[in-house]
Amino acid sequence: MQENIDMTAYNKEFTKPIIKYGRLINLLCIFLSFLPALVMWFYYGFKPANAEILAGWGLIASIFGIYAVVEPVSYYPVLGLAGTYIGVLSGNISNVRVPASVIAQDAVGTTPGTKKAELVSTIAIAGSIIMNLAIVTIGAIGGATIMGFFPEPVVEAFTYVTPAIFGAIFGMNFVKNFLYGGFALVLAGILVFFTNLPTYVIIPILVFATIVLGLFDHNRKLKNKND
Amino acid sequence: MGNYLETANSWIMWLAAIPISVAVLGLAFIYTKRARAAGDLVGLTKEEANQAFRVGMTSAIGPGIGVFIVMLGLMSVVGAPMAWMRLSVIGAAPTELTAANMAAQAQGIELGGANYDLIHFANATWVMALNGSAWLLATALITDRLDRVTKKISGGDPEKIGILMITAMLGAFAFMVVNEIHKSIEVTKDYGGIVAVLVGAFGMVLFEKISDRYPVLKEFNLGIVMVIAMALAYLSRGLF
Repeated sequence: MQENIDMTAYNKEFTKPIIKYGRLINLLCIFLSFLPALVMWFYYGFKPANAEILAGWGLIASIFGIYAVVEPVSYYPVLGLAGTYIGVLSGNISNVRVPASVIAQDAVGTTPGTKKAELVSTIAIAGSIIMNLAIVTIGAIGGATIMGFFPEPVVEAFTYVTPAIFGAIFGMNFVKNFLYGGFALVLAGILVFFTNLPTYVIIPILVFATIVLGLFDHNRKLKNKND
Repeated sequence: MGNYLETANSWIMWLAAIPISVAVLGLAFIYTKRARAAGDLVGLTKEEANQAFRVGMTSAIGPGIGVFIVMLGLMSVVGAPMAWMRLSVIGAAPTELTAANMAAQAQGIELGGANYDLIHFANATWVMALNGSAWLLATALITDRLDRVTKKISGGDPEKIGILMITAMLGAFAFMVVNEIHKSIEVTKDYGGIVAVLVGAFGMVLFEKISDRYPVLKEFNLGIVMVIAMALAYLSRGLF
């Protein structure tokens, strides 16, 4: 089944500029992220030895470096083209960007995978970035004094915000297909509790194994329908 | 030397932190404009586009407060401008905190400790920037290729792309769910985490079923379920 839209116009209006600006701004931001280091060096006159910088980078890269590739690849099917460029750039993918994208698609009532859903997701992620920036800006300026406005139990309860979001996003998709969700849960249980595989191996295994099951099941149903 | 945090919180550090956030806002602006322009081609109305934007914003309130709370920890060691910059763009707090930690370790010093000084803070700015750059570079280089691979797998069939999306999300978040349970049992010994993740999952299944009947509820589902899950997790702590 194909969507009945003018793909040439869509690519010209959306896909091409998304790639162009996404790549451009991502590369620009590599440079911009070094501004504080440059200020420390040229304005304040503090520059660690190259060996110290590289040693620190080596340590952190040995833990997280692989995610630089694993994350965009694993989240691409979820976030789509525009969502990946801007989602990785703005960070907090699983706890802020993915929820914004799926809730908006749900609320507008688009069919997952359609171009309309892609546009809704893109706009929603942009909205989430503005809200996120507003909150962290207020937080950074107000600092710890803001915490005083919240009663203690609220602050304590917010330590559980991450598992609550993860559970909710899983549940939202689980309800769409209990077979795929059940499969992913059982496989995740086995991989997490019974193996010592690192996270950067487990996530791609789970993502791609569930995708393969989904496509296999889809093709089988299609075949049955045609027979 | 005096307290390094004075420098880390100086206005000139703010000045160095602001451009990247402006760039991200710029990209958000460009993408929204393009998506709205392309809306006519796929039957996305102005109202729907506005709704998407509004839901995107409101859905980020809860998670955003969560980000702010972990940001406080980061602020206390690298100052407000760096914490703000790293968490409004690119980073997630645990990664950034680890990066700052590793920068200190490479110099044989403890992050934020008594002898932690400007030269160590400078190393943190370098290591955090280098670490984040790997994500930006990978994304800049491979994203359009991923687009081509996805099109090949799906043949452009939206039904298949939809399955790709849902299964990928189920795979990734099944890990997040099981990992939270694992962490609660093995590491933190705090079963509140298990309550939060389970109430979140089953609560959402329930609310999705309810809102199938009352679609207006859909955009509030996440907020409602999150609050219930956090509250029950908090209340359950004394029980185990």
